[in-house]
Amino acid sequence: MDTYEFVNKIKNNEIDIVEHTHKVIEECKKINKEYNYLNVISEELALEQAKNIKKSIKNKENIKNKKLLGVAVSVKDSICVKNVESAAGSRILKGYKPLFDATVIKKAKEQGAIIIGKTSQDEFGFGGFSVNVGLSFKIPKNPFDKQRSCGGSSGGAAGITQKASFPHIALGESTGGSIAEPSSFCGVFGLCPTYGRVSRYGLIDYANSLDKIGPMGKSLQEVALLQETISGFDQNESTTINKSADNYTDFTNKKIKNVKIGIIKEAFENIDNKVNKKTLEGIKKLEEAGIKTEEVSLKMPIKYGLATYYMLATSEASTNLAKYCGMRYGISEKLEGNFNEYFTKVRSSNFGAEAKRRIILGTFARMSGYRDAYYIKATKVRTKIVEEYKKLFKKYDALISPTVPILPPKFSEIEKLTPLQQYMIDTITVSPNVAGLPHLNVPVGFENNLPVGMLLTADHLEEGKLIQLGSLFEKN
Amino acid sequence: MISSKNNIIIGLEVHVEINTNTKLFCSCPTKGNEEPNSRTCETCLGMPGSKPLLNKKAVEYAIKLCLALNCKINKELIFSRKSYFYPDMAKNYQISQYEIPLGQNGSLKLKSGKEIGITRVHMEEDPAALIHPKGMQESAYVLVDYNRSGNPLLEIVTNPELSSAEEARDFMKQLITVLSYLDIFDINEGIIKADANVSIRESTFVKQEVKNITGFKEIERALKYEILRQKSEIKQGKKLMQETHAWDSEKGLTFSLRKKETEEDYGYIFDSDLVKTEITDELLNKIKSEMPELAHDKISKFVSKHKIKKEDAEIIAAEKELAELFEKVAKAVDPILAAKWLRRELVRVLNYNKKELHEIEIDEKHIIDLLKLVEAKKITDKVAQKLLEKLIEKPFDVNSHVKKENLGAVSDSGKLEKYCKEAIKENPKAVEDYKKGEEKALNYIVGQVMRKTRGKATPKEVNEIIINLINKE
Repeated sequence: MDTYEFVNKIKNNEIDIVEHTHKVIEECKKINKEYNYLNVISEELALEQAKNIKKSIKNKENIKNKKLLGVAVSVKDSICVKNVESAAGSRILKGYKPLFDATVIKKAKEQGAIIIGKTSQDEFGFGGFSVNVGLSFKIPKNPFDKQRSCGGSSGGAAGITQKASFPHIALGESTGGSIAEPSSFCGVFGLCPTYGRVSRYGLIDYANSLDKIGPMGKSLQEVALLQETISGFDQNESTTINKSADNYTDFTNKKIKNVKIGIIKEAFENIDNKVNKKTLEGIKKLEEAGIKTEEVSLKMPIKYGLATYYMLATSEASTNLAKYCGMRYGISEKLEGNFNEYFTKVRSSNFGAEAKRRIILGTFARMSGYRDAYYIKATKVRTKIVEEYKKLFKKYDALISPTVPILPPKFSEIEKLTPLQQYMIDTITVSPNVAGLPHLNVPVGFENNLPVGMLLTADHLEEGKLIQLGSLFEKN
Repeated sequence: MISSKNNIIIGLEVHVEINTNTKLFCSCPTKGNEEPNSRTCETCLGMPGSKPLLNKKAVEYAIKLCLALNCKINKELIFSRKSYFYPDMAKNYQISQYEIPLGQNGSLKLKSGKEIGITRVHMEEDPAALIHPKGMQESAYVLVDYNRSGNPLLEIVTNPELSSAEEARDFMKQLITVLSYLDIFDINEGIIKADANVSIRESTFVKQEVKNITGFKEIERALKYEILRQKSEIKQGKKLMQETHAWDSEKGLTFSLRKKETEEDYGYIFDSDLVKTEITDELLNKIKSEMPELAHDKISKFVSKHKIKKEDAEIIAAEKELAELFEKVAKAVDPILAAKWLRRELVRVLNYNKKELHEIEIDEKHIIDLLKLVEAKKITDKVAQKLLEKLIEKPFDVNSHVKKENLGAVSDSGKLEKYCKEAIKENPKAVEDYKKGEEKALNYIVGQVMRKTRGKATPKEVNEIIINLINKE
């Protein structure tokens, strides 16, 4: 049953939403025991919402326009849900229950979505394998092989999206590839929208100039539906784009005409053969649909994207994480010593290793004497990266590449990687993120029983085009 | 090392809280409920997930000050994060401005005419208030009140061109005048604080920072103390290190806080939660057209239009409320008389009562009534002075009071002659002395008449009558 069908059945009272939600919660609990996709299952909130929906149906209130009525939505832990612990996967925020809903949550709730819980992630989004979870958090496992990673940092979101048998859409978040990459590893669609298309109000920041909230779903229809719900200007969030959003769902069955796609040459260098093979199959499918393809070069973004990303992201992250000091929210320790000693104690014992590494990297990059060479330089390179993309988008509707250079690795393999090797996983996904460009992971099939994803990138605000192209890969 | 012809070099960083209704990055009120932490929201508490939203009014206020200080105004408003850990910081970074401040290269004239260069004017948010229950140095803990957190501040940085504590005080005073003319600062409750960099020749100008000095009276005290402290340490053979001190106003001393950090150690980065705000010509022109008259505009107007002395005009214009009062009064009575009475008598009575103009209840009607009586010689200067003293204690209707208390000048010469005759009769000795050529004796008789009339007669008139009467004898 697809989501539209489901929503209609709820509206027509053919499914009892409270009963359904009970089942959803039970299934989540069961999945979670094995796979660790949810840091929090918001049972109380979900059932309360379900009961309210049931009441409005009974009272014949106007529910006709509610696009997500009764649909389960899981939320990345870094997105604030009122009264539900929102810790961004970090022990330092243990116990933090926001007093407000993020704008995306408000919008989803208004459309009747039921919030089922907070999905597991790398602490504050710091990783590509969801192995950098915060202290005392559990690592989510790949839905196709529990020995392997679901990708990250929105790993729990991608996992539950693949595993849930009920209609479900996930709210993920990407800073440098955290939607596309786990979507690829878990075989689902994941859309990272244009920077500013979706309000970040209520998102626990990783890097403010890079963070984007976006949907993940088993079908592109669901992705479009949630994207349509959450997009738009937010007067509380200065960086949102003041331009109305497209009706993304209309793009799922729009005819493709005169489309030209550029195949990013550099993104196919040094990649796994199997990933290469599947991606080329995906490209073939596009060509069969009458789309023209050409090989293009994207030198600057592939060469300098990763370095630029880590300079900017860690600089911003190191300031964002400064507020966590055990004083006003989250975890606290025994009050001892002066404030400096206390803050140090709280931060030393409650941030995970990767969080500490990025705080140190970021603090270094913006320190006097290094700031110009690293932080300021990175802001300039970012402009160059955007320019190079913009040039290509004058000629091409979209660019194509594999999403991740490898198949989902085993945890035992990840352990052997150095931090830099771990960072390399993002080589392809960081650049569209740095440039604030919308990009979509499209599942293109399986190799060794593991999913492979293809990445479509479009010009700013062209999410519709991505959905239109991606729908060629919708299973029907 | 700085070479200077001055023995003392002072530069100020002044923080002014501007009087917008809401905070700089959220819609919490800047004043109202005083209960600690009552005027707060997720943004000014720095809650995870909250985002700042720029208060446009605050930007307009800031631009006004930049214009008044003749600053070059940059076309883009860019905010940065200034990172440091401190318990009064909601986010452990302060949203401020770094590379490109709103205004640069301005100036402000001291009373002496000396111009002090303004390096920069920028906008930033106020941290929370730290309350030390047992005083700053003794308290084992501090309480934090976030009501102030996020209030809009303007930081005004001067060139190191002030050369005494008195000049620093006057700079602050002139700045407050500008702020109150612009109506962007609450003179009663607004906070104006300064951090001062002070160095003296004796130490070869090693920079010492004194933080947290509130108001213009305190700045003189603090800097005098600090200069003395530096001198005495040098005398004792100590070498000064670049250091930060705090001013403890209760104890009247400065104490060492830490080795001075350089500005760059704050690890500034752009705050990408706030988009760059373009300062359009349209906005600038709108603000320019709304700019009120400032002190120097008033001075030239008073001199050219009201024909009062420049010296009087300067004193009156130095205080916005006094200037406004003058303008109202000068419409009803002779401006020269008004100027004389406002700058001499009113200021004298205020000083005597240790009060500021905004603290007293009288308005222009009281002054106009009073001066109209003076102008028409219906009361004497002496009576008017006394009335002014009383008015400042508690206002009343001048005309009915004069009538009721029978304070009108005794100008009826018949009545006055009667008093004079009495006085001559009662003081034969003085009359004799006067006749012998002792001028002082005449003053004595005049004094007696003044007593009888309770000051309601003009001494000049009494003088003439007595001379006439004595000559007739």
